[in-house]
Amino acid sequence: MERTAAWLGVALPEQVLFLLKSGVFLCASGVILYVALASSYPTIHDTLHNFRHALAVVPCH
Amino acid sequence: MSLKSLAVLLGFHVSFFFGSPSWADDINIYLKASPRLELLHPYSDPATLTLLVTGADGKPVAQGRVAIGLEAPEPGWFFSTDFPLVEGSRLLDMSLPLRQGRAEWKYLFPIRGPYRLNVEFIAPDGRKVNKTFPLAIRERRQKWFFLGIFTLGLFVLGVFAGRIFTGALSNAKRRAAACLLVSMSCASWSIAVAAQGVGQGKHFGWLEIDHATVGRPSKVRWRLAGEEKAESRDVLLTLTIAHLEKAKTVFSVERLPVEGEFGMNFQFADGAEYRVTAIAYVTGGQMIRTEQNISVTGVEPPARSMIPAIGFFLAVIAVGLAVGRWSRRAAPS
Repeated sequence: MERTAAWLGVALPEQVLFLLKSGVFLCASGVILYVALASSYPTIHDTLHNFRHALAVVPCH
Repeated sequence: MSLKSLAVLLGFHVSFFFGSPSWADDINIYLKASPRLELLHPYSDPATLTLLVTGADGKPVAQGRVAIGLEAPEPGWFFSTDFPLVEGSRLLDMSLPLRQGRAEWKYLFPIRGPYRLNVEFIAPDGRKVNKTFPLAIRERRQKWFFLGIFTLGLFVLGVFAGRIFTGALSNAKRRAAACLLVSMSCASWSIAVAAQGVGQGKHFGWLEIDHATVGRPSKVRWRLAGEEKAESRDVLLTLTIAHLEKAKTVFSVERLPVEGEFGMNFQFADGAEYRVTAIAYVTGGQMIRTEQNISVTGVEPPARSMIPAIGFFLAVIAVGLAVGRWSRRAAPS
């Protein structure tokens, strides 16, 4: 059994903890990427318009 | 089958196999692009496209027209281009008269990929010859380089996160993990119709443009008005469409001989401000300038076109996480 780590008062196997943290990190990354590259809010879109086009694979209007 | 039907059938087959193909084989249609297609990139510089139609003797045909249709590249199997709504759509449909066997126009290609230029030569007697030219437009290397840098940045971010998330968290690591999410958001921020006719004398120009929306062609029509029979007056028309924000000409024809009017279907590929300018040189010395600014309605790209790009970036981060964990375990501190 892998060592366990106490996190938020709950002892979990280290592997599970890594998966949890990675999952949260990927979710946060997905939200940030979506807001930065896909959202249509004028302020965000106008600020990052050139950046979106510069990436070649990110659709814009 | 009666003899009459047999004769009609025989006549059809004879004309099909020996009639039209032999004439069509005599006609050659050539395309020249300047600068060369290999040097063109989306939204860089407009290309001057020249069609030359020659007869059996190799000399340019004296008269006739060419009907031109330009189709945008089909959507890619995974990644989208900058303008997904343009993919697979019709960009341009127009008919140009031949001058000394040539027709010429300028066009700014909006996206990368293989375009199809369909050309139909229409002789004065109504006979037609078709030819399709594939036009491959490459993406700028600078954009691929930038995409590589961005992807590498996400990978490094994943590696750091993977290393931090592996093992028990000390207070310092806990603070680093918290800072990681904050810095990610900071990093993403730091990267940063009414027709208008100008009359000067007896005639005036009239420019009509349909409501323009990205993804479908709009009718662009210019006509001469004013005196009687203005519609049939011979004029030389220069028509230019310019993208105001990018300060680039996206389409133009110069000194095109028309009889009082010219029309085409044109797709405005970007949701932005454009200026359409028509300058007509009427026989007799009068010059008429007509200008109209139009605001093209941008359409938000469909969500499905975003999924591959965001999915790819997340996959890169996930690979980074795995590599970070592996590197931490391989060399524990």
